[in-house]
Amino acid sequence: MEAAPDISVLRLMAAFGLLLVPVALSVFLKMGIVRQLFVSAGRMTGQLFLVSIVLVYLFRWDNPWLNIAWVIVMIFFACFSAMINSKLSFRHFFGPVFLSYFLGAGLLLVFFNRVIVNYENIFTARLMVVVGGMLLGNSLNSTIIGISHFYESIKKDNKRYLYLLSLGANQSEALLPFFRDAFLAALKPFMANMATMGLVSLPGMMTGQILGGANPETAIKYQIAIVLAIFTAVTISVALAVYFTARRAFNAWGIIREDLFRKR
Amino acid sequence: MIELQNITKKIDDKYLYHDLSLMVPAGGRLLIKGESGSGKTTLLRMLLGFDFPDEGKVMIDGKKLGLENVWLLRRQMAYVSQEMQIGRGKAESFIREVLAFKNNRYLSYDRSKVLTLMDDFHLAKSTLDKRLEDLSGGELQRLAIIVTLLLERKIYLLDEITSALDQHLKELIVHYFCSLDDKTLVISSHDAIWHDQNFPTLNLGKNGSSS
Repeated sequence: MEAAPDISVLRLMAAFGLLLVPVALSVFLKMGIVRQLFVSAGRMTGQLFLVSIVLVYLFRWDNPWLNIAWVIVMIFFACFSAMINSKLSFRHFFGPVFLSYFLGAGLLLVFFNRVIVNYENIFTARLMVVVGGMLLGNSLNSTIIGISHFYESIKKDNKRYLYLLSLGANQSEALLPFFRDAFLAALKPFMANMATMGLVSLPGMMTGQILGGANPETAIKYQIAIVLAIFTAVTISVALAVYFTARRAFNAWGIIREDLFRKR
Repeated sequence: MIELQNITKKIDDKYLYHDLSLMVPAGGRLLIKGESGSGKTTLLRMLLGFDFPDEGKVMIDGKKLGLENVWLLRRQMAYVSQEMQIGRGKAESFIREVLAFKNNRYLSYDRSKVLTLMDDFHLAKSTLDKRLEDLSGGELQRLAIIVTLLLERKIYLLDEITSALDQHLKELIVHYFCSLDDKTLVISSHDAIWHDQNFPTLNLGKNGSSS
């Protein structure tokens, strides 16, 4: 198979022309999202354009250290954007979430590149940057859902938590049921998604590979492996993030701290 | 034995308690009355070390409640509150899980004892096989009580446990607890049925408290 043909700038403008439909509808229905729509579309274009420049150089130089640094930058931004969408306080959670995510996704990235793909140089840009981005983009949101669910449900169901403490549970025994629920909240949507994959949606990585000229059979194998890796990365990250934060989130009396959430 | 010594607590510049002192001897009873927001629940939570006075001391069995003994003293007490979500999964598994807590290892799961208690509280045997999320408020309330009774605690802190129940169940529960002569009971309620028991009563009002 040959690689996908390039898209000329003029033809790309046609894609922007598509925006006329939502804009017209927004004006007509007075939805008031036109400004936001242009800002979002503008940001996407700008960011992707910048990334393409970075990627060109990352691929040209293909320096392992640079590739690793780029993955860390990606984790940083992924953490930042996921945390903005949650109510968790940056002061308490950014560090631990970053670290657990770095360990969870990092471990899976190395496993994927070394064991599954078995490529000689696992730090090469093709694997490190591209597979890394795939892993990160798809697992951080579930991870944040898991952690926020954990702390929000302890706050919401505080009577249940205190009841367990009064029944003689120690701190970790009282947290266990909430931990269980948090895992389910993080993994269940993912499992549902996994169950319909291919039927309802063609995953992005597969589409990309096929467009790039890869054999669909190869693309499917990569897709299966990456989905399983993402799932495991989420599991590890949620567990580590709760482990890293739980000790400081409660005072010595076993009571949850008030300042874990941002005030809005 | 429970003692409060000169407890003062303010919430937003308003006194919840002002220089409140009281004593409940071992095996004694105390009924706390007051409108919602008058600090009934907070008082029970203070005994458990889940909430704290601004001034004054909480004493349990002659020991001042503090960080060094709170985890130990909590194990003298059982706490049941109204409309509580106690967990998920099968009722029997929940009971087993509680009895398997490290601190409760000295107790063993005795199914016949559980069934006797369920009978005392008019809960059908089949409740054990149901999931907690499928139980009605009244069933859940009684199950929460049964779990605390299995732990054989000395002090029972009962926070409005009868207010959501029908008359028949109210009588059943009041009668059961009144028969536990060796237990110390602290009850918060605005239910007339507890008032008829002529327990020593603490009235929490809008302007401080009196007993």
